[in-house]
Amino acid sequence: MALLEYAIIGGILYGIFFSLVAIGLNLIFGVMRIINLAHGQFVMLGGFGAYLVTSSLGLNPIFGVPLAVLGGIAIGYPLYYGVVPRLQRSRDPEMLSFILFFGVAQMIEAVMTLLFGVDERSLPGEALGSGNFGVLGQQFPDSWWVAVAVSLLCIGGLWLYFSRTRLGYATRAIIANREEALATGINVNRVSAIAFIIGLSLAGIAGVFVPYLVGSISPSDGSDLTTTSFAIIIIGSLGNPLGTVVGGLVFGVGTMLMQTFYPSWSNLVPYVLLVLIVLVRPSGLLGKAVRNA
Amino acid sequence: MSRLILKDVESGYGPMQILWGIDLTVNESETVILLGANSAGKTTLLRTIIGLLPCTGGSILFEGEPIHNLPPDQRIRRGIAYMSELGVFPGLTIEENIRLGGYFLSGAEVRRRSTRLYELFPALANKRREQAASLSGGQRKMLGIAKVLVSEPKLLLMDEPSSGLAPVFVKQVVDVLKYAITGGMTLLIAEQNIAFLSLADRGYLLEGGQVKHSGTRAELESSDVVREAYFGL
Repeated sequence: MALLEYAIIGGILYGIFFSLVAIGLNLIFGVMRIINLAHGQFVMLGGFGAYLVTSSLGLNPIFGVPLAVLGGIAIGYPLYYGVVPRLQRSRDPEMLSFILFFGVAQMIEAVMTLLFGVDERSLPGEALGSGNFGVLGQQFPDSWWVAVAVSLLCIGGLWLYFSRTRLGYATRAIIANREEALATGINVNRVSAIAFIIGLSLAGIAGVFVPYLVGSISPSDGSDLTTTSFAIIIIGSLGNPLGTVVGGLVFGVGTMLMQTFYPSWSNLVPYVLLVLIVLVRPSGLLGKAVRNA
Repeated sequence: MSRLILKDVESGYGPMQILWGIDLTVNESETVILLGANSAGKTTLLRTIIGLLPCTGGSILFEGEPIHNLPPDQRIRRGIAYMSELGVFPGLTIEENIRLGGYFLSGAEVRRRSTRLYELFPALANKRREQAASLSGGQRKMLGIAKVLVSEPKLLLMDEPSSGLAPVFVKQVVDVLKYAITGGMTLLIAEQNIAFLSLADRGYLLEGGQVKHSGTRAELESSDVVREAYFGL
């Protein structure tokens, strides 16, 4: 019974964190209908940002969070205006974005491998707290709780952005109906660029905590992170950013249950869930079909 | 004074040309109706004026200035508003829809104007925090009208405002538009419902993406072409 409690509570924490890992991918798909296949690489860049902050500047890795936001702006702005409007003028932006961002992902991975090598990097365990914190008698490392707190702040911030700001209403309007948004007078390009930057920044922020939740980070981790993020957003609801949380929780609890009771099978969890959801409920658990293809 | 002038306008969807040399004028405080059957080009024409479709030939002048190369948001900032057949975002609340209608205005200005609109549409005022999806077809149409009126446009383009409505709701829409017209609003309405001809000062009959006939309301009402198209006479 204690093991089951551990798996469920740990799964909820893990799931909240992985909601943050995936939410940027869903935001970008929802607003722009493009598939950022380099999403995991941007998460990985966030991890290396935190590694540099720690190893080169001697600062706490939490300073990787503002660095991720700056990186999201510095990379997202030129990448959006250089690529996205062209993609959206094409006949099949989804497929073209798939190919283009696959190239971007390979480039990022190659450059990071040249700069840092293929070795796994970890962050100082005590930097986010050296103890454990317990809930219902189950103990989890302080770093997990910090990661979950930051994840909740980011997801809550995104919810506030959507529900309390003019740009947020406009973003939801574009997700709902891009053409109607244009006809309403929304500067769709500008709002989309902001969403793109937010999506990359959230990926980078999540990356800061990946070494703590997963154990380490290396340039080749991006592909796995992209796959996991895809599974999560499809489980939740593709194109519905806040639905990512549902997908994240299902993935987190599923993974922790498997890691606790059948550890050698746990890596299969995202793929099995993905196949099940696509077969049983292709529009995701939140149920609203958002794409035709 | 002419608020909108279209000269020899051509447009379409990609390689498929729909509009062929449209000439049209809408004067200040005038209501002009675009009549025509399905596929006549009415929606294409409105979408070209607002900038959702490219103007591939000819020119569009608004208050004497060419606007055909401007993006939609710039045209809307100049004072044009467009109400599509859908007209609203069903997943957003009534308040959020109205807020978006005045996207380029300050929050305080939108709140001030919303207060007046809620007086005009009391049914919406009571449900302002509910999703537009919860409204009936007629109420959604009213919300669509409120959403475009919040920007107090100099020219309002309306695409089939009677579409999908029961006759009782059509009358409500006509009454609201009569109110807007009394206030001096300039309107260009695309409609198949002949009831809207009663609102118009002038009109154009489109067929096959071309203007087949135009004239004052009285001329249209007595025109054999219109009578044949709409009254089966």
